[in-house]
Amino acid sequence: MTAAFGSSMPLLEIDNLVTTFHTPGGRVPAVDGVSLSIERGRTLGLVGESGCGKSVTAMSILRLVAAPGVIEAGRIILSPAGGLSRAGGLSRAGGSVDLVTLPESQLQEVRGGRIGMIFQEPMTSLNPVLTIGDQIAEAVLLHRKVSREAARARSLEMLKLVRMADPERRLDEYPHQLSGGMRQRVVIAMALACEPDLIIADEPTTALDVTIQAQILDLLADLRRRLGTAILLITHDLGVVAETCDDVAVMYAGRIVEQATTAELFARPRHPYTIGLLAARPEGGGHGSRAAGRLQTIPGMVPAPQHFPAGCRFHPRCAFARQPDCSAAMPELREVAPGHLVRCLYAESLGPPHCIDDLYQEIA
Amino acid sequence: MTQPLVDVVGLQTHFPVRKGLLRRTVGAVRAVDGVSFSIQTGRTLGLVGESGCGKTTVGRSILRLVEPTGGGVRFDGRDVRATSGAELRGLRRRMQIVFQDPYGSLNPRLKVRAILEEGLIIHRLGSAAERLERMTRALARTGLTAAALDRYPHEFSGGQRQRIAIARAIVIEPDFLVLDEPISALDVSIQAQVVNLLIELREQLGLTYLFISHDLSVVEYVSDDVAVMYLGRIVEQAPAARLYAEPLHPYTLALFSAVLSVDPVRRRRRIILTGDVPSPASPPAGCRFHPRCPLAEQVCRQADPPATLLDGHAVHCHVAAREVERAGGDAAAAAGRMAEFMAAAASPG
Repeated sequence: MTAAFGSSMPLLEIDNLVTTFHTPGGRVPAVDGVSLSIERGRTLGLVGESGCGKSVTAMSILRLVAAPGVIEAGRIILSPAGGLSRAGGLSRAGGSVDLVTLPESQLQEVRGGRIGMIFQEPMTSLNPVLTIGDQIAEAVLLHRKVSREAARARSLEMLKLVRMADPERRLDEYPHQLSGGMRQRVVIAMALACEPDLIIADEPTTALDVTIQAQILDLLADLRRRLGTAILLITHDLGVVAETCDDVAVMYAGRIVEQATTAELFARPRHPYTIGLLAARPEGGGHGSRAAGRLQTIPGMVPAPQHFPAGCRFHPRCAFARQPDCSAAMPELREVAPGHLVRCLYAESLGPPHCIDDLYQEIA
Repeated sequence: MTQPLVDVVGLQTHFPVRKGLLRRTVGAVRAVDGVSFSIQTGRTLGLVGESGCGKTTVGRSILRLVEPTGGGVRFDGRDVRATSGAELRGLRRRMQIVFQDPYGSLNPRLKVRAILEEGLIIHRLGSAAERLERMTRALARTGLTAAALDRYPHEFSGGQRQRIAIARAIVIEPDFLVLDEPISALDVSIQAQVVNLLIELREQLGLTYLFISHDLSVVEYVSDDVAVMYLGRIVEQAPAARLYAEPLHPYTLALFSAVLSVDPVRRRRRIILTGDVPSPASPPAGCRFHPRCPLAEQVCRQADPPATLLDGHAVHCHVAAREVERAGGDAAAAAGRMAEFMAAAASPG
């Protein structure tokens, strides 16, 4: 797996997670055996298209999956608070806890305490009838035994930390008075208020404009450097991953299909789905792309969980699939290079020295 | 030069702000405030900018889906704003629009047949048999079969719905399409399919596009020319290759630097702009970008920058104008200087 960072034990370890939705149409395995580990202080990107299970994975960590969804199997081990955290109270330096089986009362302490959450649409995660100051203070009061005044002071401190312009005035304003970028700063301030060890950020910049996205990503990177908070960043945007994450896991149809350090993944993608996603990007830079004429596409679309194909779930859309092997059995997630895991029978032949264009030319 | 198919001159679209019991007009949101461009037949103009810059309103104003409040729009030599009734309907048969959200733009209670046929009936195109033939052809061009006609929009995926929306636009055989963020709501692997489809249709049918998007990479890929909008105005406009190679406006530079790349070689040093876009109800005096511009000077706060023209490349910026003059009209040299200024101004500490 990824190189150990600081301690030998990862901060969060997801082991063979299965989260299923029981619908009238049948059993829908949204997350189907996902294993991941997040090291302290590192940023892990979880990428995939809509419906791949990346958000359900994140919601499962905090047991926020709504009915009819249930976690059917797996463990989610949160290791004890490390030396970095000054969090008091709950994070007694006991052993690790399994979030899947942890009693609800103790889980409350983890949510917003040891694990903070940032959602895509800041307006829906803020309460429209509470002032900014009260919302941040609420998070602090829930997890710390402090006075109202201290909580308000903490709110102000957090707004300054997220570089909110004019923080004293914002404290008494309501969410609708802020722009999208400022609201997302408030959500980040709330997530950080209790000094969590881990922040789960689900598409934190997708609803924002590019120049505001640049501000927020810059802020997240800066906060991580200063506070040492680990981040699980969920996104569909490979560009966001490339510029912010240390490690990356690519999901397709409920499974992880490729995992590596960010540098390794983008330099040497080995899974046909990752290769396809990268090739489908109309990356500019001043030249070249138009001459190619057409973008590479991945044919077809992501299958619904009720209709996952047998064998490798990507094989019906895969330009490199070979029969009968690829439809026979689900390939294992195997290590093809140190720290580089791929769920593909032919990963080795898809690796270097080929570049993506050469690969596609070979097929054509 | 031949007459452009679409010619927009000084277009203004202001929305009144009403207040109080009598709904008196107390101000105006200047969504589009003096926009000019032209598109030659068969070419694609990309219109980029962030939310609220007015790019969508420009597209809708050309089709008069919203009424412009000033300026002129000519389509194939005819004044769109002066036409009405049957004449306007005739023009609209030649101009169509594809919206961003294929979930919102198709009536969920109509079958695809009714969705496609509506335009044909309104414009009295063909008998029932001919209409069916046209619909089948339009669907085939977008990669769908006639079987789609008897199904409802909800039976299709997002990418397929956008194909239906495109089929609806081309079924009446228009000359010009406004594509308003046509791929933004789609998944990454589907986006490339729809972009390729739009490029194919442009070639096969000789279409002219106004391609509105916030995605700079896609715009570069699809467009011949690109215009960058900020707060109701075009701040820079040039052939795509020129604009992407030699951007001159500080806003364009910041916008390009914010594009995230998976290729470390192409990755640019990010220029972080401070603050948010001001409200178009009370745009700042002088250059509208000056409150966020790291290069703003005294003149920028006072005077609206006129266009500086460098064969085909237009930029509205006092600082860029000076650099262009200093470089003796050498765009590459001026662009290099602007990039240096921005990098220096934006570097932390």
